[in-house]
Amino acid sequence: MFESHNDPVDVLTAFVDGSMRPIRFRWQGRVVRVRRVTGQWARREGQAVLRYFAVQGSRDDSYELCYDARGPSWVLSRAWTGPS
Amino acid sequence: MILLVDMDAFFASVEQAHHPHLRGKAVIVCGDPSRRGVVTAASYEARPFGVRAGMPLAEAKRLCPNAEYVEGNPRKYVEKSLELLEMFLEITPDVEPFSVDEAFLDLKRLPGRGQTLESASEIARELQRRIGDTHGLGASIGVGTNKLIAKMASGVHKPRGITALDEEKFRGVFWPQDVQALWGVGPKMSEHLKALGIATVGDLAHAPRPVMEQRFGVVGEHLIEAAWGRDRSAVIPYHEGVDPKSMGHEVTLPEDCRDPEFLEGTLLRLSDQVARRLRTDGFRGRTVTLKLRDYRFRTITRQRAIGVAIDDHGGIFEVSRGLWRENWRGEPLRLLGVSVSALEHTSEAQQELFSERERAKALQDALDKVRDKLGEASVVPAGSLAHRRGVGNIPFGAVRGPKPAERDSRREEGAGYADGADPSAPDPTQLKPRLPRDG
Repeated sequence: MFESHNDPVDVLTAFVDGSMRPIRFRWQGRVVRVRRVTGQWARREGQAVLRYFAVQGSRDDSYELCYDARGPSWVLSRAWTGPS
Repeated sequence: MILLVDMDAFFASVEQAHHPHLRGKAVIVCGDPSRRGVVTAASYEARPFGVRAGMPLAEAKRLCPNAEYVEGNPRKYVEKSLELLEMFLEITPDVEPFSVDEAFLDLKRLPGRGQTLESASEIARELQRRIGDTHGLGASIGVGTNKLIAKMASGVHKPRGITALDEEKFRGVFWPQDVQALWGVGPKMSEHLKALGIATVGDLAHAPRPVMEQRFGVVGEHLIEAAWGRDRSAVIPYHEGVDPKSMGHEVTLPEDCRDPEFLEGTLLRLSDQVARRLRTDGFRGRTVTLKLRDYRFRTITRQRAIGVAIDDHGGIFEVSRGLWRENWRGEPLRLLGVSVSALEHTSEAQQELFSERERAKALQDALDKVRDKLGEASVVPAGSLAHRRGVGNIPFGAVRGPKPAERDSRREEGAGYADGADPSAPDPTQLKPRLPRDG
């Protein structure tokens, strides 16, 4: 099931051809390597634009990360923790 | 020829595309799975269990306890819908988004292609393949000589089907079917038609026109034409836009409620959300509608026309509260909704005549600017706080990095949506097209 977390995380980020993508991040004491970015979307919060990334880890684990340029900062918003 | 592209189980499919471990599994998109609500969408894997959109979540959990219940995120789906629109526009400029997961494509302006069922079907196959390859999503496509046929053909083979029909083939497929299969015939119209002895689409095609016109007016004539597969409505390209007929919001309460303070707070919050959308899109309305659903799932709607067009939450709340007080008998309520219709553009609306109203409008404009800058939850009507506390949605709460104990209560506008997405919140990153929004 998915769990909401909203945990601040450190994210190694690549900027390529005018777009950004998370490469790996540290969460709950471990480093998750991003195998694939499977989706992106954005949401406004007032004037700020929050950019979301659905990512897949190396063990088919699944997360949603949010980049807030105001910080700048990253938050892990959701993680899939196994079957319901 | 016209195509109707209908995305298969769209919301659930987007979640499966974003989270590959969900592929091949029963996925049910809903509000917060830990709260009461309804099913927003079910993947095809969940449907054999009887799960359908609109079904109470508790019933879905009983039918399909092992499904993955995923909190939906409207912003995510709108963004994907816009990406798909970009793809459709590479085929033809004449694209009419019909809903967040459906669009008409008119092929008549394509040079030398798409003018026959075979040629249009070829384009549909190529488009279906591109949607799958690029987005990992499935689509069913109807090909027809008009919008009606394309729309109905899209539902013949699902998921990932392609069905091409002209008027003659349309009659062969649909005339034997129940009259409710006809686009535009809902359960109530179906009842009326069956009371007249009209059970199938074919029966409707051969119904006496004078009887139909006498019983249903101009709709009667339209229904007969539709039963013959005739439709002259044009595809309206997205850039020309279509004004909405109404704007509204509704909410399923966390539990059945008969607390007047909480219910009035809920009405105030709904009125505020509707007013904000009206002003953002430049509309005012002259009719306010209240929707109530009680604990036995009995639903009533009541509406009131007002003399002047309004777009302020106070005015909308005043009317909806009046309707509520007149029609609520004290029974526990499950759902409340407020909508405004008879819309007109703000520029066409009657100019303000009184300084009192001008002052109120200046205040409203100032509050809108604060929300535009800081977000929807930055300023809220005080009267809606009882409702917000009840649903765990408290403005001025933690924005980032809450403590674990606070996580459950960290819900921004639109509780029940992931990452605080508020479906009512205007998003300047999504300027065109204006996709229809559900009530």
